[in-house]
Amino acid sequence: MYAIAIHGGAGAVPRATLSPEREQRYRAGLEAALGGGYAVLERGGSSLDAVTAAVRILEDDPCFNAGRGAALTREGAAELDAAIMDGRQQRAGAVASVRHVKNPVELARRVMEKSRHVLLVGPGAEEFALEEGFALVPNLYFRTPERQSQLEHEQRGERVSDLVPPAKGTVGAVACDRDGNLAAATSTGGMTNKRPGRVGDSPIIGAGTYAKNGVCAVSATGHGEYFIRAVAAHHVCAAVEYRGLSLEAAMRELLHDILSGLGGDGGLIGVDRDGRIVMDFSTEGMYRGARDSAGRSEIAIY
Amino acid sequence: MTRRKTRLLTSLVLAAAATLPAAPLPAAEHPIVIVIHGGAGVIERSRMSPEREASYRAGLSAALDAGYAVLEQGGSSLDAVGAAIRTMEDDPQFNAGRGAVLNHDGFCELDAAIMDGSGPRAGAVAGVHHVKNPIDLARLVMDKSPHVLLAGQGAEEFALEQGVTLVPESYFITPQRVRELEEAKRAAATRAPTAPLPIRPQAGKGMGTVGALALDAQGHLAAGTSTGGIDNKLYGRVGDTPIIGAGTYASESCAVSGTGQGEFYIRQVVAYDICAMVAYQHVSLEAAVHTMIHDKLKRTGGEGGVIALDHAGNYAMDFNSAGMHRGVRDSRGHREIAMYRDAN
Repeated sequence: MYAIAIHGGAGAVPRATLSPEREQRYRAGLEAALGGGYAVLERGGSSLDAVTAAVRILEDDPCFNAGRGAALTREGAAELDAAIMDGRQQRAGAVASVRHVKNPVELARRVMEKSRHVLLVGPGAEEFALEEGFALVPNLYFRTPERQSQLEHEQRGERVSDLVPPAKGTVGAVACDRDGNLAAATSTGGMTNKRPGRVGDSPIIGAGTYAKNGVCAVSATGHGEYFIRAVAAHHVCAAVEYRGLSLEAAMRELLHDILSGLGGDGGLIGVDRDGRIVMDFSTEGMYRGARDSAGRSEIAIY
Repeated sequence: MTRRKTRLLTSLVLAAAATLPAAPLPAAEHPIVIVIHGGAGVIERSRMSPEREASYRAGLSAALDAGYAVLEQGGSSLDAVGAAIRTMEDDPQFNAGRGAVLNHDGFCELDAAIMDGSGPRAGAVAGVHHVKNPIDLARLVMDKSPHVLLAGQGAEEFALEQGVTLVPESYFITPQRVRELEEAKRAAATRAPTAPLPIRPQAGKGMGTVGALALDAQGHLAAGTSTGGIDNKLYGRVGDTPIIGAGTYASESCAVSGTGQGEFYIRQVVAYDICAMVAYQHVSLEAAVHTMIHDKLKRTGGEGGVIALDHAGNYAMDFNSAGMHRGVRDSRGHREIAMYRDAN
């Protein structure tokens, strides 16, 4: 069985504050990413290509907090983090605090495939991007009026409107391909009004992103600091591998016992060795979608 | 190193483990312990001059005792780890702080992390160029910011806001590291761009990362790690050191600090995985460390070592490289500094 799941962030998503038009836009964005990733699997492509395709689509969609439309730092700039992991050989690539790379997930993949390193940050990561032939874009490309007003609200100490996906949001994808290879990818602009240089869990292998063939692939979204301290994504895989827990039980324990105990919330998507998808969250809602070759197909927010 | 010596060492370790309590002790009964490392690599007696060896031993000794003194005075494991690591950061022999290795562009980029097992709380910095003691800045991130990891210029901005005095890049650069970078660049010219960089290839050249673990009188564990990374690394490269779970991890019952080829440590989430094996597979700390270093890590081609410490005061120091600078001191009267395979 092959399968893909995606998320577009978790947080307070009160039904009342999401207009039907806006909800329709988010659903369409999730549908496009899910379809883009699933199409790769359907034609026999790898889980790695599928998660890359899905995350790239979410990065390009200004509705989501990654790539264009990312949350802004306290200085009003976009600083992007992303990671990708190949469960087959447990290869991984990640970038943090890049400001001029249109699709950070593609740069993360390039770090994995063309460098001897796993994580590159800041100007050094962009230097590598240029050496690899990436065209850089101005930081303005990422900034949308919605994110700018969200930042202004936050800086005035006002309650941030829930009209846009919550500031904690992140996008991610996990997939299992026809050969049973697992992959995970995550991309984000981080928290609104964050301090420049702050790196969350998304590019941290084991925290926001993890994949290991024969076990599971996981992508996280939520309050990143808590996910780092809990080594969230790897915790889930370790619980499956060492304790024989189902992916569902492992994710439930992490979100509803461990992270809740620490005071953190968020969501996780995962796929196990058999291609079974699990999506769970401790927030009010999580933008998410799942599709598999056994006929499952869903998009959900609440 | 002979096979017989290895066996002897193994049996000694096993004998020691068998006499240690399996269950956590009441707070007043567990020992206070500090464990440190100063990097792993090709550390062989035949390649080490007596002067250099003595100098490394003195450096390790100073760090070990600085950390232990904090514990002895009733200080916290966090403060002990900070004191031990700061001592090694200031010592140009070690690849952290002053004397850190240089990146491909010829300057130092420093990474550090600290974790409080009783929180769990953690702080880390990556890619800083002007912070004399990155371990102190990691501690400030933990204590004074809502974040865990700050990178690059943003981390230095935070340092200034916290009143940390920045130093010029030249402070960190030593003539030896400049020579080593030139050698590393020549060697790299013969390798594929994706081939892993070797951790320090020869004895006598400053070794990897530094780290420390401590168990204080209150029974709290802490872990810290600090490094300049791998020389000739790409500008912006971050290794396992500041990655919580990879190079640094502490919980209420288990603390680990790693040194080696960081990319392998990140992929395998080495530090956390050791603690997970202990917690979930009910194996001893020694056994979990052994599995990680000699099986999991080695199978993927990763080279290096770790130190590990649990809440009962059991510790392990193991490596799959030729040697590892290491030391341990506890209130049971044990004090040991070693660098070679044969426990010396």
